[in-house]
Amino acid sequence: MSKRIFQHPEESQTGKRYWRSLGQLQDTPEFRGWLQREFPQGASELEGGDVSRRNFIQLMGASVALAGLSLSACRRPLKNLVPFTRGVEWSVPGKALFFTSAMPARGGAIPLVVTTFDGRPTKIEGNPMHPVSKGATDIWAQSSVLDLYDPQRSKGYLLDGKPSSADAFQKALAGILSAAGDGSSLAFLVDGVQSPTRERLRKAVLAKFPQAKWASYEPNGNDLELEAAAVAFGAGHEIAPKLEGADVVLTVDRDILGVEGDLASVRAFASRRKVENSADAKAKMNRLYVVENRYTLTGGMSDHRMRLAASRAGTFLKLLAAEIAALSGDSSLGKIASELKVPEKLGGKDAAKETSWVKECAVDLWSRKGKSVVLVGQRQPVAVQLLGLAINSALGAIGQTLIVRKTDTVPALGIGALAEELRKGKTATLFVLGGNPVFNAPSDVKWTDAQSAAKTVIHLAMEVNETSAKATWHVPAAHYLEQWGDARASDGSYLVVQPMIMPLYNGVSEIELLAKIAGVESDPLALVQKTFVEISGVTADSGAVWANVLKQGSLEKSASKPVEAAVSVEAISKKVSESPAIRVGDKDFELVFITDSKLDDGRYANNGWLQELPDPITKLTWDNAALISPATAKALSLETGDVVKIIAGDKSLEVAVLELPGHADDSISIAVGYGRSEVGSVGRQVGVDVYPLISSESKRFRTGVTIQKTGRQYALAITQEHGALEGRGADITRQATVEEWSKNAEKANPDYFKKMGIDAHAPENFSLYTHPALDDVHAWGMAVDLNTCIGCSACMIACQAENNIPIVGKEQVINGREMHWMRMDRYFASEAGSESEPEMVSQPMMCQHCENAPCETVCPVNATVHSEDGLNVMAYNRCIGTRYCANNCPFKVRRFNFFDYNERSLTSLYKWNLLSEKGMAESSKMQKNPNVTVRMRGVMEKCTFCVQRIQEAKIAAKVHARDSEAATKPQVPADVFTSACAQVCPTEAITFGDLKNPASKVAKLKESQRGYRLLEYLNTSNRVWYLARIRNPNPKMPDASRAGSASRDAHGSHAHDPANGHSGGHQ
Amino acid sequence: MANLFPRWSNWLPIKIIICLLVLGGGVTSGVWYYFTPKYTRVGYQPTQPVPFSHKIHAGQLGMDCRYCHSFVETSAYSNIPTTQVCMNCHSQVQKDSPKLELVRQSWETGKPIEWVQIHKTPDYVYFNHSVHVNRGVSCVSCHGKVNEMDVVYHAESQSMSWCLDCHRNPEDFVRPVSEVTNLNWVPPAGKTQKQIGEELVKKWHINPPDKNCAGCHR
Repeated sequence: MSKRIFQHPEESQTGKRYWRSLGQLQDTPEFRGWLQREFPQGASELEGGDVSRRNFIQLMGASVALAGLSLSACRRPLKNLVPFTRGVEWSVPGKALFFTSAMPARGGAIPLVVTTFDGRPTKIEGNPMHPVSKGATDIWAQSSVLDLYDPQRSKGYLLDGKPSSADAFQKALAGILSAAGDGSSLAFLVDGVQSPTRERLRKAVLAKFPQAKWASYEPNGNDLELEAAAVAFGAGHEIAPKLEGADVVLTVDRDILGVEGDLASVRAFASRRKVENSADAKAKMNRLYVVENRYTLTGGMSDHRMRLAASRAGTFLKLLAAEIAALSGDSSLGKIASELKVPEKLGGKDAAKETSWVKECAVDLWSRKGKSVVLVGQRQPVAVQLLGLAINSALGAIGQTLIVRKTDTVPALGIGALAEELRKGKTATLFVLGGNPVFNAPSDVKWTDAQSAAKTVIHLAMEVNETSAKATWHVPAAHYLEQWGDARASDGSYLVVQPMIMPLYNGVSEIELLAKIAGVESDPLALVQKTFVEISGVTADSGAVWANVLKQGSLEKSASKPVEAAVSVEAISKKVSESPAIRVGDKDFELVFITDSKLDDGRYANNGWLQELPDPITKLTWDNAALISPATAKALSLETGDVVKIIAGDKSLEVAVLELPGHADDSISIAVGYGRSEVGSVGRQVGVDVYPLISSESKRFRTGVTIQKTGRQYALAITQEHGALEGRGADITRQATVEEWSKNAEKANPDYFKKMGIDAHAPENFSLYTHPALDDVHAWGMAVDLNTCIGCSACMIACQAENNIPIVGKEQVINGREMHWMRMDRYFASEAGSESEPEMVSQPMMCQHCENAPCETVCPVNATVHSEDGLNVMAYNRCIGTRYCANNCPFKVRRFNFFDYNERSLTSLYKWNLLSEKGMAESSKMQKNPNVTVRMRGVMEKCTFCVQRIQEAKIAAKVHARDSEAATKPQVPADVFTSACAQVCPTEAITFGDLKNPASKVAKLKESQRGYRLLEYLNTSNRVWYLARIRNPNPKMPDASRAGSASRDAHGSHAHDPANGHSGGHQ
Repeated sequence: MANLFPRWSNWLPIKIIICLLVLGGGVTSGVWYYFTPKYTRVGYQPTQPVPFSHKIHAGQLGMDCRYCHSFVETSAYSNIPTTQVCMNCHSQVQKDSPKLELVRQSWETGKPIEWVQIHKTPDYVYFNHSVHVNRGVSCVSCHGKVNEMDVVYHAESQSMSWCLDCHRNPEDFVRPVSEVTNLNWVPPAGKTQKQIGEELVKKWHINPPDKNCAGCHR
């Protein structure tokens, strides 16, 4: 056989294609650099910092001399083994214990099961027994364990910024309360995280101090949605989508699969996208229309997407309402729509196309009456949200796909009203329980001034933040894993927050403090149990029910029930007609304040895992940036990284721009929560503070913004071009529409997805290399369903928590040295000429565990070898750091420890060993997974398929077998454990298991028609199968032909013909 | 031109090479011998805070290892007993022995006894007790005849090659699971360890990770 040289076919520069970044699209030299090198120019060289090559040599000489002095310490240091004095029930040294708990969160708490080792919580998982979680969590729950052990957490009471004591605080508090009388001198400001016990104590506090003010503030809350629901259905109601029943979903400026949704919604949506074959897809798949100003996770999953400024969302709904009113003959809907004062036009270039988009969307929604839903962004003004509810009502969605529930949330003052009260000067003492209003209150509230009007400000927080700095007393708060509490999940069910560890720094919980103020028993457990008895109504044997609640994590049947409710047309009409108009100037931009996908409103700024997590869409780490469309950038002659001045009214800020394909042209988006000044070293001065531009009138977006170029540049750490695979979207991500799939797969071409791209032309593979016989009873493998992967990146954080993966800091991310074992590749796909409106695909990428692994053949020291069960394993203690393996990896999934990230602070990485402080903070050590090696400098690492979990399961199977004489080797039963990424996934897009066990899920999934392996023609024989993305476009829509088009062009639909002139094959 | 170098200097390079060889050889063999676990570990016998004798308890009294190391069959670690376990007997037996002063103190104050660690695997090695003792590897194979030690010492080198001796040839070591904690066990008359081992390895499908690094390194 002639020598077989495989070249990728040169990708067409004009046809339909996939791309990661504008750099790739324009084929910039920077992108070529990322493509051709495992690590970028300079990443592998010693540079920067304090050390030049010359003084490095000098220092090396000194280190050899010093090493001689320390040779005498060759013996192992004396270590002690310290058992308990009295045995602790259930505690087995070396075995993990699992407890239920819950993470309180703004949109509903997340039910959890917490892994603890010897009393240390190390890993958070979702509670598989609870319908909201079913074992899944999000990035915030995953990373919360890092917050617990944050060495820069608040560790004590502060009085005017100076260390004080709990006793002194108690004395001061007693003095304040005894002088409070009827409470007219007291005010409370709480955050939006609901807790039944807190509500109960609020009543107790207000009963004792009836004149006290109670306010609540949440910068990114759903207050506008609640207000709209209260108008439409009466006070005390809330709405919740039920996507499992929705055939057609339209979201208007609503990131329901991202920051404006919850796990239950994501799961419900994905349940309609899990398809086995094309008939199944036809019958089951929902259709998602998305209207949004910037790409979001929801937009990425859309079948049809319109980019539209947030300020014109009302216009879109108005036009849609008119269409639906015409279809339904519902005159009241038309009337409400006509009363909404919004810009007249959608403002796009192709008005006819826009009209047809709205019309066909309306027809589709109407044709699935009762099974369609319109979801409006929580950012939108109440009037716009009300129109959305009116449309839903006309579509028969209320009670079907959009349920109405009673909420026990009692209204509180807003922060603006509280500030007014404070300015009157009658409030002597202000309690700020959680939150950070000095940082994130709207600028026109002038909160700092208002707060200083109170004589004493008492701030309860887990970190010393901006508000603490301006408070009289700072009280250290307990983390949720440290103290008893309770919460409600997004379905309203009652969850108990069970502590895992005693407060590390004597923090107190919110309910503890409130109970002290109310003068009732302040033991948190007793407080929660009392609430539990009230809610459950259990009188006899409450102990047994309580024990069961702790075991299950939630109170059975406590989810709130949907109520029969109809929208009040009069109330909506009245409110809409009274609402102020939204005006958009022709030349001006709008500025949209987006909830950050990682830091939320800034509260997670000191969490390194979140700071370093690339944003799912922009792939930006360690910063926020002004997102603009490439067309806008071109018009203003800006490029990614150019600093601009954004002027809004009398306020302005300077920030770097980032060109984001698919962004609306007349819109700028910027994430809030960055630019913190009073925070630990991780989050300090990261990004730009946007809150000064936010006012009460325009809390979530504002119009009439201008933008000026400053001429300066700013380095953004964007990972989107890192790890780019040598070209060829169709080889990596594959997709098709439902129609194409049924045409091809069912009839002539069952290998439709397997034979896309170069795989359509590749002759049969053969291998020159041998690997050990894969003769274990297990064969570990993974399947990743691109049709349900929304790209949320929770898997990346779960992997980081499970596998002791360090963070490297912004500078090192720029150098391409980030350590994440799995990355979330985000591709855009477009036809030539429509790059401004691309489709998006997210693809998790981790070690593919090739059976013929290219990395293994080049390792000079056999540090990476193959196991009998098919894992490509790393022996860290053998690795000498040549990095040949990383260079030879076609998937670019290997990570190298360029520095001792675990032992050094991010600021002293470049300092010479003996000159910088070494060692990990004691509290950080407590988070580490004891079953995974903490790697040191100079060692290569990569995804292990969570080998510690595999070994634990195998050992359990062997221990179980003991000396029994079975016919076969001891075997791990199907799907009894899974990898961290698969466990966390809210859509179950990742499945891990034993390929040799026919009962396992992954063994079935790999046989799917949609299944394909990456770069099959390289004959690496991967153990990871990807299941192709299916899109479900409406053929009548103007942009229908574009859906899934990037793969269609990739040789998939025609039979292989060697003579057709494509490169590749035998040469 | 006069000779620049004296005549003896002709031998200098060879002398230097020989010196270096001797020196290098000495250093190499020194490291080879003195830096290996066989030298650094075997025989390590620290003084424990309480003069506990395994010889009396496990040997003379015939207590089972698992009375104190109670989780050895379920956990990766073989636990050190709590003070409570000591006091189970010593609240009745040898109540006033001065040797047990620290134990009684610990029981009263709740302050744990700090035993000195003897056997320690490196941080990158994940040894699991439960899978070994449940599959017929006796305590004695790794820890020696603890039932004859007054003060416990490091009996085996516990180096990687030593681990692999068994992982590659388990038949030389496995015994019936019921005899795992019987440190004095010898194969019944008429059978050799090899015969019994081969039989058990086949019956129980014993296949320790011998090529799979991830079996122990994670």
